[in-house]
Amino acid sequence: MNVVVCVKQVPDTESVIKVKPDGSDIITDDLKYVMNPYDEYGVEEALQIKEKFGGSVTILCMGPSRVVETIRTGLAMGADKAIHLDDPALEGGDAFATAKALAEALKGIEYDLVLCGKQAVDDDLSQTGQTLAELLGFPHASLIQKLEIADDNKSATVHCQVEGGLAVLDVSLPAVLTTQKGLNEPRYASLPGIMKAKKKPLDTKDLAALGLSADSVGCAGSKTIITKMTPPPERAAGKVIEGEGPQETVPKLVQLLREEAKVI
Amino acid sequence: MNIASYTILGIPNFVLLTIAIIAALVFFVNRVRHLYIVLRIGKEDDRFKEPGERIKAVLKRILLQICVLKDVTRNDLAGIGHATIFYGFLCFAFSYIFMFARGFIPGLSFHLLGGAFAHYFPLILDIAGLLVMTAVIWGLTRRYIVKPPRLELSLEAVLILGWIFSLMLFHFIMEGFEINTDPHEMPTLAFMGAAFAGFFANIETTTQEALFVASWWIHVLLVLGFMVLIPYSKHLHLLLAPFNIYFKSREPKGALVPILDMEEAETFGVCNIEEYTWKQLLDLYCCAHCGRCDINCPAYLSEKPLSPKDLLNDLKVHLLEKASFLLENKNGGDEETKEYEGPSLIGDVISEDKIWACVTCGSCIEQCPVCNEHVQKIIDMRRYLVLMESKFPSEVQVVFKNMENNSNPWGIGWATRADWAKDLGVKIMSDDSDVDILYWVGCAGSFDERNKKISTSLVNIFNKAGVNFGILGAEEKCCGDSARRIGNEYLFQMLAMETIEILKNYNVKKIVTQCPHCFNTLKNEYPQFGGDFEVVHTTEFIMDLIEKGKLKLTKPIDKTVAYHDSCYLGRYNAIYDAPRKILEGIPGINIVEMDRNRNKSMCCGAGGGRMWMEEHLGKRINEMRLQDALDANPNMVCTACPYCLTMFEDAIKEKGVEESLAGKDIVELVEEATA
Repeated sequence: MNVVVCVKQVPDTESVIKVKPDGSDIITDDLKYVMNPYDEYGVEEALQIKEKFGGSVTILCMGPSRVVETIRTGLAMGADKAIHLDDPALEGGDAFATAKALAEALKGIEYDLVLCGKQAVDDDLSQTGQTLAELLGFPHASLIQKLEIADDNKSATVHCQVEGGLAVLDVSLPAVLTTQKGLNEPRYASLPGIMKAKKKPLDTKDLAALGLSADSVGCAGSKTIITKMTPPPERAAGKVIEGEGPQETVPKLVQLLREEAKVI
Repeated sequence: MNIASYTILGIPNFVLLTIAIIAALVFFVNRVRHLYIVLRIGKEDDRFKEPGERIKAVLKRILLQICVLKDVTRNDLAGIGHATIFYGFLCFAFSYIFMFARGFIPGLSFHLLGGAFAHYFPLILDIAGLLVMTAVIWGLTRRYIVKPPRLELSLEAVLILGWIFSLMLFHFIMEGFEINTDPHEMPTLAFMGAAFAGFFANIETTTQEALFVASWWIHVLLVLGFMVLIPYSKHLHLLLAPFNIYFKSREPKGALVPILDMEEAETFGVCNIEEYTWKQLLDLYCCAHCGRCDINCPAYLSEKPLSPKDLLNDLKVHLLEKASFLLENKNGGDEETKEYEGPSLIGDVISEDKIWACVTCGSCIEQCPVCNEHVQKIIDMRRYLVLMESKFPSEVQVVFKNMENNSNPWGIGWATRADWAKDLGVKIMSDDSDVDILYWVGCAGSFDERNKKISTSLVNIFNKAGVNFGILGAEEKCCGDSARRIGNEYLFQMLAMETIEILKNYNVKKIVTQCPHCFNTLKNEYPQFGGDFEVVHTTEFIMDLIEKGKLKLTKPIDKTVAYHDSCYLGRYNAIYDAPRKILEGIPGINIVEMDRNRNKSMCCGAGGGRMWMEEHLGKRINEMRLQDALDANPNMVCTACPYCLTMFEDAIKEKGVEESLAGKDIVELVEEATA
């Protein structure tokens, strides 16, 4: 089984996100970047598949040179090789433009399965995996929490999170699956893994190597346009209800819920 | 009586004696040689520098018997017994030279060293013998009747104690026969010998002569037997403890041994016994099973699977079991390396639960009479598990990631590190680095709500005393203490090196820390990576401000306070007095001591990275420590460590004693007293 894991580099979830004064983007100075947490489940699952069936794990990642650190994280966890799509023209793309570049990069590679995180925690679009499947013409399943590959490696059974329950699906391979928390516990890279990762093959491709034109990817090739970013309104401070015991405080709470919050 | 020329079955005595000595030496030397060869399997370790200091330590520990007398308490007087036997034995060891020499040289006696010596030495020997016998009986009574928790009911102990008792007894018997068969001009002062002589008086002289030779022989064989017994038993410490003390680490107590060739090495930490250094293996030989480590070990006391004593002994048994395999593989170089089929070090010999139970409080090391160094052995196994296998309690992974991504174990955004100081007008080094003191806030002081208040108090104290200080703000990172003690040396070194560079860029000279973990790491471990700064703990710094008159403790605090010694302040850095002196200086405060205090203080349970792990096994260490405090009956427990405070306050809440007991950091009390 050869598995490709699409990985995105995102700001650490604890980062203080500030919007540029003109609202065009967020301020990226001083941001600490990490691997998108949902993609970590993908990498872990791919490694477990490799441990069970053999084959290889490839990390596929798009972004400027800073994303190499995230690629190395995946390689340190145990992936064998990586493809890095690095071209200024690729920047600013939405899920569609990104999926297009990823699909192009997958041409000419042998693989049986593509894993993506269910969404990236920066823009939370939750579309890239599905769009990629569509562009590749493969089946897809989203939000998987369990993955069982058939012994012949031709199909898989997946458990997908759906509202109020689980959907158990059989998919033929190759397929694109998006991974969700609960699928596994991503491993912590060992030190020999970290050291080895520095020497693993990393194939950097620019637009020319992908054979795409600049207007079909990145901002130019996107279906959606970000017009303006604004930070969410600041939350008002909470209210502490003062009083002696529940006899006094509960009626006050009820009154506030009814008159101020208007929820009961 | 001429023993040298006495014949048994026509064979001269000296011949028989020679045979006996050679036989004993063969057993003795063979075993010692084997132990030495096995020891040499261990890795290199330079423990030879500063020989003068090393010799001093040996003399102090052994000749003055500080090794055991240091921790004699009302409840544990065994050290006195040990010292008695030790000094008694020294006298006898000297007399044995004569005893053996008489087997070769006719007419040899104590007179060789002068009449006065010959007159008084037998008296000294008799007194010594009697004292040793008393100590032995006391020892047996303690071990088998009183049964203090640190001792085991081993048969080996009976054998050894019985042996020592017999040695003394046969000295008296031999002396008795000698007085009767070889009367001296002067009446002997050997009162025990004289008593036995009186007891044997009615036996015929020729029979007495034969019995004298017989008792001499029994005595000689007992001594030779004892010599052979030493290297085969826990009494190996008689022979090796002086070496172990000599080779004791001369690095700061609080510094773990660094992994220096991280980029080049192929394996990290220890998962095979032979990966320990020779000194670590020597420790195993020296353990005398006294159990002082156990009864001071928070993990052992709280019923976790770890016992420092068993740890060393299990390692010793494993080492000797695996030795033949190791020696065979070492010598036969051309053969392929075979897999060892015996038990694995981690898992079979030492379970992972034991490895993770250690709080690295250092009490085992502190109490060990023979200077064994337990903690590094555990850290070495942790390093293997973490760096090679990525195996550690699952809750630790997020802590590592938090340190990696946000430079603090809580994982709060690194950019918000100095938010606590926003409204306090504190200088940030990146804005203004013209300061006398760098206040190293630490992760707890920066991110933990409770400890942020203490940081604020400290800033107020600094301002009151007119200290020109600054903080690193968002540039500060976790010092790496927890990472290192959990075994993640790689993460620790990354954090340490980044911080050292920042500190050097600001040309920082003097650092004050409130957290003892940061204090120990910056002071004792950063020099390993070129970070040489003067690091002072808040308690020392405040004490200095008080002594210089810059800070006056005037406002009374009417509280009964128990001060809890943090391991990394007390045991690892010997700061016991500064905090107590500060408290004494606060009017109104009544200080009470917990039973376990100063270098016997018990860890709060958060050291060694345990702060970040769940406590699934045994009792809760922090609740036990709270009980120690409650027993001293204070209404406030005072700490000087953010972890200790957290652990205490958790225990106070858990036990529901908030009404009667408050937890405070010493900094808060100082702020209050200077208000």
